[in-house]
Amino acid sequence: MASLGELERSVMTLLWESGQQLSANEVCGQLDEELAVTTVLTVLARLEKKGMVERERSTRPHRYAATATREEHTVEMLNEVLGTAPDREAVLARFIGGVSEEEAAALRRILS
Amino acid sequence: MTVLALLLAALAVLLAVPVPKLLHNAHFRTRSPWAAMLLWQAIALAGGLSMVGAPIVLGLSPFGDNLPAAVSTAIRLTLQEDYVALAELEVHPWHIFALCLGLLLGGHLLLTLARTYVRVLSARRRHRQLVDLLSTPLQNGNEDTDTHVIEHDAPLAYCLPGRTNASSVTVLSRGLLETLSEAELAAVVAHEQTHLKQRHHLLTMAFEAWYRALPWLPTTRYGREAVLELTEMLADEGALAQHAPKDLLRAIALSGESSGPLGAKAAVTQPRGEWGVHPPAEPTLLSGARLRRLLVPQQPLGRSAVAGVVVLSVGLLAVPTGLLLG
Repeated sequence: MASLGELERSVMTLLWESGQQLSANEVCGQLDEELAVTTVLTVLARLEKKGMVERERSTRPHRYAATATREEHTVEMLNEVLGTAPDREAVLARFIGGVSEEEAAALRRILS
Repeated sequence: MTVLALLLAALAVLLAVPVPKLLHNAHFRTRSPWAAMLLWQAIALAGGLSMVGAPIVLGLSPFGDNLPAAVSTAIRLTLQEDYVALAELEVHPWHIFALCLGLLLGGHLLLTLARTYVRVLSARRRHRQLVDLLSTPLQNGNEDTDTHVIEHDAPLAYCLPGRTNASSVTVLSRGLLETLSEAELAAVVAHEQTHLKQRHHLLTMAFEAWYRALPWLPTTRYGREAVLELTEMLADEGALAQHAPKDLLRAIALSGESSGPLGAKAAVTQPRGEWGVHPPAEPTLLSGARLRRLLVPQQPLGRSAVAGVVVLSVGLLAVPTGLLLG
């Protein structure tokens, strides 16, 4: 059986691709794997806690949708990498660290 | 004890202002970056100890000839509410002020360290969740390294340290995979793996916190920048142990064009010329130490020089510790 992390990924992929609100039952039916609805509900609850999924509570059963598109999340994530202002906390180590943009450009001219 | 406090204060000033100014540009760091790293760690610890220790020692000077004795006397007299003995010690309000200053400063440094640690950790956890949801494991990578690919055109690479090496991850963008050759990619991954294996994020954490705690002290910025730069040099050394300098240099050159704002289309594949050894044509533009030492390999420090740095680092730590406990 797939791990929780893998399940989260396939559920997210499904929600991103469908682009609409789905109930846990619908998610369950559209996934390739045979899963219990309770498992899907657990996965959806975890994703909601992470802020990746929002739940529509006015309907029965509750319906779930992605909070943002895959592209928006990618941009958010990469802006944490690219938008590293000089005085931001060093959360991650970028490969290009210590080399300025001008230096890299100069290096490109030398190498080509 | 007053002399002791003055010695500590002198050491604190020395380690806070002129020493980092001298060291952050010292040439030897490009020859043996780990030696410079050792020295920086010693400076930060010794600087913090003496900065906090000086006012505390001054404040407690009426209570005894050395710090441990003075602390126990002060606590004993306070607990016994022995006001006669306390009055005889001639504790001046200045002593109380100095003691409070030292305790506040020490508390401020420790709390900032803890807060920085928590904040960085939660930012990393959040980022890791996104990596897990948005990226796919790199197929042909080898088993003991966790390398993920994120679908984006900007050519970039970074590593995200986790609690253990197994939970750390190296992230490459699709743009980078398409821009670099296999050998160049391998050099990038080796560089990031060195960051993770040598746990560089722990070496930089205290400097990050030091800078957060005392941002008005210009030297905290020097320290932070210098240590970050040193981790890059150390990671380059790790990559060069298995890969050719030309692969690393080319990878740096090609992944350096992604610094623009996101949303804009990035990563137009550069035309690839033949690699040749040219002298740096624009020395002023290539002023960064990291690139210079890749272009012009540096002789590592000799054995006696390294021994000197190690002795100096140990000595730096021993002096304030000795003064405080002595």
